[in-house]
Amino acid sequence: MTRLFHNMPVPEVLRALRQAKGYYITNTARDLSQSDFKNRILLHTDLLAADSREKAGYFSLEITGGASVHVDILRHQVNPFTKLKVLRERMPQTMFQTLCRGVNLFGYRPYPQNVIRFTVREFAKYVDVWRTFDFMNHIENMRAVFEEVAKAGKINEPCICFSTGPEHTDAFYTDKVREIIDVTGNDIILCIKNHGGLGTPTRIGELVDAIKQRFPDLPIHYHGHNTDGNDVGRITAAVLNGASIVDAADFSFTGYYGPPPVLSVIQALKELGHTAIGIDENAIIETSDVIRDERKYYEQFESQIKGFQPTVQIHKLPGGAMGSSLEQASKGNFLDRMPAILHHELPRVQKELGNWWSVTPGSQILWTTAVSNVINGERYGNPSGDLRNLLLGKYGPFPFYNPEIWIYEKVLGENWQQVLKDEGGIEAIDDIDLAHERFALSEKIGAEPTDQQLVLYLQHPKDAVEFFKFEEQYGQVYVLPPSIFFRQGGFEVGQVLNFQDHNGKEHMIEIGPSPVIDTGETNVYLNVDHHQSIFTFLPEASSGNPGQAAIPTKEEIQDLAMTGDMRSPFAGNIVEISVKEGQEILAGDRIAIMEAMKMQTPILSRTDGIVVMISARSGDSLRPGDRILTIRVIE
Amino acid sequence: MKKKILVANRGEIAIRLIRAIQELEHEAVAVYEKPDQKSRHIRMANEAVLLGDGPRCDYLNIDKVIKAAKRTGCCAIHPGYGFLAENPFFAKACETQGLIFIGPTSQTIHDLGNKVIARDIMAKAGIPMVPGTDNLPQGHEGVETALTFAKKHHYPIMLKATSGGGGRGIRLIESDAQMQAQIPVARAEALAAFNDDSVYLEKVIVNPKHVEVQILADQFGHTVHLGTRDCSIQRRNQKLIEIAPSMIKNKDLLDTICKTAVKAAKAANYLNAGTVEFLIDKDFNSYFMEINTRVQVEHTVTEMITGIDIVRNQIQLAFGNPLPFSQQDVQTRGHAIEVRINAEDPKNDFMPEGGKKVSVYRSTGGFGVRLDGFVYQGYVIPEVYDSLLVKLTVHGFTWMETVARLHRCLANFVIAGPKTTIPFYKNIVNDKDFINGSFDTSYLEKHPHLFLYDEDTSEVGKLARLIAEIHFKKRNPFAE
Repeated sequence: MTRLFHNMPVPEVLRALRQAKGYYITNTARDLSQSDFKNRILLHTDLLAADSREKAGYFSLEITGGASVHVDILRHQVNPFTKLKVLRERMPQTMFQTLCRGVNLFGYRPYPQNVIRFTVREFAKYVDVWRTFDFMNHIENMRAVFEEVAKAGKINEPCICFSTGPEHTDAFYTDKVREIIDVTGNDIILCIKNHGGLGTPTRIGELVDAIKQRFPDLPIHYHGHNTDGNDVGRITAAVLNGASIVDAADFSFTGYYGPPPVLSVIQALKELGHTAIGIDENAIIETSDVIRDERKYYEQFESQIKGFQPTVQIHKLPGGAMGSSLEQASKGNFLDRMPAILHHELPRVQKELGNWWSVTPGSQILWTTAVSNVINGERYGNPSGDLRNLLLGKYGPFPFYNPEIWIYEKVLGENWQQVLKDEGGIEAIDDIDLAHERFALSEKIGAEPTDQQLVLYLQHPKDAVEFFKFEEQYGQVYVLPPSIFFRQGGFEVGQVLNFQDHNGKEHMIEIGPSPVIDTGETNVYLNVDHHQSIFTFLPEASSGNPGQAAIPTKEEIQDLAMTGDMRSPFAGNIVEISVKEGQEILAGDRIAIMEAMKMQTPILSRTDGIVVMISARSGDSLRPGDRILTIRVIE
Repeated sequence: MKKKILVANRGEIAIRLIRAIQELEHEAVAVYEKPDQKSRHIRMANEAVLLGDGPRCDYLNIDKVIKAAKRTGCCAIHPGYGFLAENPFFAKACETQGLIFIGPTSQTIHDLGNKVIARDIMAKAGIPMVPGTDNLPQGHEGVETALTFAKKHHYPIMLKATSGGGGRGIRLIESDAQMQAQIPVARAEALAAFNDDSVYLEKVIVNPKHVEVQILADQFGHTVHLGTRDCSIQRRNQKLIEIAPSMIKNKDLLDTICKTAVKAAKAANYLNAGTVEFLIDKDFNSYFMEINTRVQVEHTVTEMITGIDIVRNQIQLAFGNPLPFSQQDVQTRGHAIEVRINAEDPKNDFMPEGGKKVSVYRSTGGFGVRLDGFVYQGYVIPEVYDSLLVKLTVHGFTWMETVARLHRCLANFVIAGPKTTIPFYKNIVNDKDFINGSFDTSYLEKHPHLFLYDEDTSEVGKLARLIAEIHFKKRNPFAE
């Protein structure tokens, strides 16, 4: 029985997979975090699990990619490269795996080719297995990543995204595999990416078998989600039909929409005579024992709706988007409309738009459109910029059928055919000048950036710069446990916090009193390693206190818009102010584009008039009810 | 007999003077301008007089100060340093109004305040001086004189306003062309600033050490010195750190300087406390620079190593008493270092941090530690005065012990609110050249790394900041 190791040459890995008597397991810790904990699991917790995960003998640990690269710098305040370095020190043998969204890399929109290649090159220094997908299964969108991974001597694992419906036949999928192999050659692992956890065990078994019949030497990696509680069944069927690797996660953290519990998979397959290669079951149990107590600190990030969701077979939301969708519904106060959205509108939109694969960024387009259709009343009445791009074919051609004409009319306008002719098709994105970007970054951080800093900046310019500044001021905060990092309501006076810094040095911080002095400032006293330190804070402009103006309701915002007082309808960022002061506009004209939850939405004028004052600027983040601009209404 | 003495100053030096006055069992009368009404010196004095709304005009108003002294029945005025301390008209006014001016005579202040007269006195007494000129003749002739001087002594040369001082009215000249261009400009500026357009030249001693000698002189012909101080660590001619005695290993040189200082004081008929300043070049040549006719900010280091209370003696001498000791009685023991803890941001070119409130003030203490300060927790630093908060002076038996003591004291000193020079000094006490005693006036310029510090450099300090923020905001704002 061969265990596979970090830095093993690709042909050797593939040979082992092809000859394997049994199957391998990938621990998808990254997907678990994204699906069930809104991506909040901290490196601190992964480091607690590192020793036993290393011992457990996984094929790979999926620990980066997807939304995690962005969330690492945005909310964990850890450099994604640092994370990989630190984990590698603790896990010298286990292969690390990433999830890459093809041209969209780890983001939501296509990047220029040279950015894609530069990014892959830098991450490939740390990542052994590259799982790459495109939400339209458009192979061309993955080509640059395939090439760079191969050049770096790492393992390419292209995906076919899986869904259900009459169009989703074995013939369609095996043809897709052929298309992939034509680009990559034979030395790949093929991933069946079942991000929704769709289909029955029988269906998955058939698909694996169909691919194996046509490509007997192609190792298959089955990836699924346990949203409906039945992924162990699908995994079992996949392995019985010849899959070489399957995905599961540490059971003490499993629960809703993420991967299934790893030990359950092993137990089910053992009885059927299939062995998990290289696996140390005791080490798997040990991992869950070690991290179980940490789960309570992540409770605030767990699902708003408890329990399995077999209705995923109807709405098809991917596990990775369930958590954030429910959070959005909860924050937007429409949790009660979820059955209508999930069970009626979303499947309807899905079919209307072509029944392709509900996965990033396609899943966000479907979700946003369905929510907008239900909440705004008028179906396709307020199309997002991304929906528009979809219809324009900017993400690639529709794989099965095009939406009906009335949808084109709604989204692109009466003269949609002309618009489609003028603007349609995949746009070649010009390379950007990396030297220029490097200089721009150096100006922003006041130092010559490293290649890794530049990579992060190219992905998320604003958030990366903020993160670099954070790092300078607060140091390496990944050493803080979730009990400190996510603490709500402040600490107890006298509470003692113990932790090790990134050099392994033990520290003790004792919480002292926090008197408010007469300037209104607060002095927080801490005993830091037995030395008193004082941190002064200006009084916080607290939201929600009675002195402050309440956030206007949706109706009030609409009423204000009728008078020319354009307010932000939701919490989001201004992407563009589309008009100038003094400009004459008509009702229905776009005055701005806003972005929330990564989706762009145009803001339209409700009235004819003249723009008299612009209050928000591109890049501003607005709360609901914040003023965007003012229009003097012309009667 | 109990006397009343007016303290014509503010800040830490006012408190220093009040302490000496009260220890002599006299009474101290403080004066203040409106922005200083919460200053601690007022609370410590036996009585206080509001001079006016200020700022920086009433403390300088001779008439108002003398009236305040008269009205409160004071018989003497101590001017401290700065403000009216070296104003011969003030000393003169005291003399004519029958008030004792605690310092030298108005004539001495006048003579030594005028650089050219001072040089003349010293030249006649045979005191070695930095090569220089008399007041330059007006017009073309002056420029010619200057160029001839430059040919003989070489650039760089300092062009100085005769009535300037305290780092004002001086400019560095490095070529004939500059000389020709700058003389008229300097004259115009001097006329505007000091109402006197006289200028003169002095050769620049490159990267000298700044060494000075404290002297005390009574009316009975006794003049003693209290040893040397090194004030080389300066920024823009403002002293930051002062050390006693000088770390120069050449004992003969230091002896010579001290004797020269006494000779210089005698030549100027000096009375009371004064400081004779010298420059020492790389080859250990010493040059007389000037005599400061006041108590110096850095007098504390001399007091620490001699045990002699300079301010107490100033008062006693002004009252006509003889020096209570002779030169033989003056012994120095160990080393002392004073750092001026200023409300300034060293990283931002020592920009003053006035207007900020001292939200936490926790000073240090222990063996061999002296503090001369006036701020307290809750004190708002006025924007209109200087930025000195407190002088920290440490004394030790050996140099290394003294440095270690300073290190310990700085580590324990907490001032929150304004940025201060403390983290900068922390870097200095860790610097090899400082520890080895090798520094001259170019020290800061040659050690730019001293400015590289975080407000809290340690990793745990950074993490503590985040924890404080999570605690204060009741959530982690960086995890949302």
